[in-house]
Amino acid sequence: MLTIDGVTKTYRGGVRANDGVHLRVGASEVYGLLGHNGAGKTTLVNQVVGLAAPDAGTIVLDGQDLVADPGLARRLCSIQPQAQVPITGLTPRRAIELTGRLRGGRADDARRRTAALADALDIGEWMDTDAARLSGGVKRLTSFAMAAVVPGRLVILDEPTNDVDPVRRRLLWAQVRALADGGAGVLLVTHNVVEAERSVDRLAILDRGRVVVEGTPVELRASVPDELRLDLTLEPGAEPPDPPAWALRAVRENGHRMVVTVPAFRAGDAAGWALAEQRAGRVEEFGLAPATLEDAYVALVGGTDRAEVRDGRAA
Amino acid sequence: MDALRSYVLLVTWQVLRVRVMLPLAIVVQALLAVGIVLGYPLLFPEIDRTTTLFLATAAPTITLVTMGLVLVPQVVAQAKTEGSLDFLRSLPVPRIVYLFADLTVWLVVVLPGVVFAIVAAQWRFGLDMHVSPLVVPAFLLVAFTATSVGYAIAAVLPPMLANLTTQVLVVFVLMFSPLTFPADRLPGWLAAIHGVLPIQAMGEVVRGTLATNAFPLTLGAFLALGAWCAASFTVTSLVLTRRA
Repeated sequence: MLTIDGVTKTYRGGVRANDGVHLRVGASEVYGLLGHNGAGKTTLVNQVVGLAAPDAGTIVLDGQDLVADPGLARRLCSIQPQAQVPITGLTPRRAIELTGRLRGGRADDARRRTAALADALDIGEWMDTDAARLSGGVKRLTSFAMAAVVPGRLVILDEPTNDVDPVRRRLLWAQVRALADGGAGVLLVTHNVVEAERSVDRLAILDRGRVVVEGTPVELRASVPDELRLDLTLEPGAEPPDPPAWALRAVRENGHRMVVTVPAFRAGDAAGWALAEQRAGRVEEFGLAPATLEDAYVALVGGTDRAEVRDGRAA
Repeated sequence: MDALRSYVLLVTWQVLRVRVMLPLAIVVQALLAVGIVLGYPLLFPEIDRTTTLFLATAAPTITLVTMGLVLVPQVVAQAKTEGSLDFLRSLPVPRIVYLFADLTVWLVVVLPGVVFAIVAAQWRFGLDMHVSPLVVPAFLLVAFTATSVGYAIAAVLPPMLANLTTQVLVVFVLMFSPLTFPADRLPGWLAAIHGVLPIQAMGEVVRGTLATNAFPLTLGAFLALGAWCAASFTVTSLVLTRRA
């Protein structure tokens, strides 16, 4: 349905935000676009909806060239931008209904669909509250509903779950799936790998403007098949342990957590090492589990947005 | 048809957006307009009929021009900063409809002030002004040209710079433009600049239609302003449809 081919975009000042990006998003598919801050995700999205023009490459939706006709791009795509949509002076109900009608929906359809979304996302009690008094999470859900009220053939969601509480996140994911079931393609932009793993059908990881890998979550996890992750909770105040020489990677996630990636055949050694560290008072508790998509992600693009990275790659 | 529908919806959106500050904005604009009529004469120890007529007919022009060149770019720059401009630009609405929708809302804000200024002039100075029906196209032409230029300023410049530019423009319009005084008082070089800029023509078409008994209405001024209107509209359309 959406085909992005060789899209390259260099901003004035020489920053190459996209570098020969290829992507395919099918109808009824939730497609994840993952990457660090500054990986080029939002730039790519802006080119799809016609807010920016690529220097090279093509963007085709349902056989129609979106680069040549940005007006068409805006009719065929609805978008939830990454920044909060300012709906100053409006209530969520007004904002969602007006967006639906501006997207070509009839007044009564927009009203009905708005009410249904409010129910599905459990934000009914704030639907008539002035925007100035809404919490960040409700604002975010409102802007999701603005993109979903009269969805385009392609619905683009840029970090839709930021600020949203865990219960309503689930409701939101159900609605994302419902959009795809209704026939739309969903392009989901996120750096939340854990959520993406559960929610997307396929995904691409973007790094410094290039697609470094593309596939289903299972395929991507399989790119690190013989790896296990050892989750350590560090003892507060104690010296952090030195990762063993045979560890593949060690990432310090925050003050008290460390993830050490080890080869699967070292499972026994890893458990033994962690137990010894626990007895030595440097580790509070630990767990050993198969690698996740997040591990695959870190292995592919490196951990440069973590607090601290120690590359423990060894023979 | 689609464009008209989008226009009505966008006007609704913008009116709701500024609903809270709308009454205040109308009052401030009215005070500004009436203030020009009643305040400027204080600068002169004695004031003759021609001067009062100049001031009375300058007030509507100044109000419309400051709306377009100051108010509009400030609001657009703010919308740009907070991200609502980009969101609205991602909707399937012809870009130029935004310009018309904003123009409508701001006309509602400034028109009461324009009317109050004329009434205040009649009341304070007992002026006898013969108003021509051409005043309607004259006002619209002035408002539309000023708004187009203001929109282009806000769209092209970074928000901070756009705001600064409007500050400079307001001084230029109030103090150094032949609106409250005749053009022949300008030094030669400034008169030459105003020969190119649209502000003088704006003053002339408003004066010439508000007080037909006192000021000539020349086709030249209308044509010059029409040309500026077309040019600024074209530039603004290009700027609004431009992709990053």
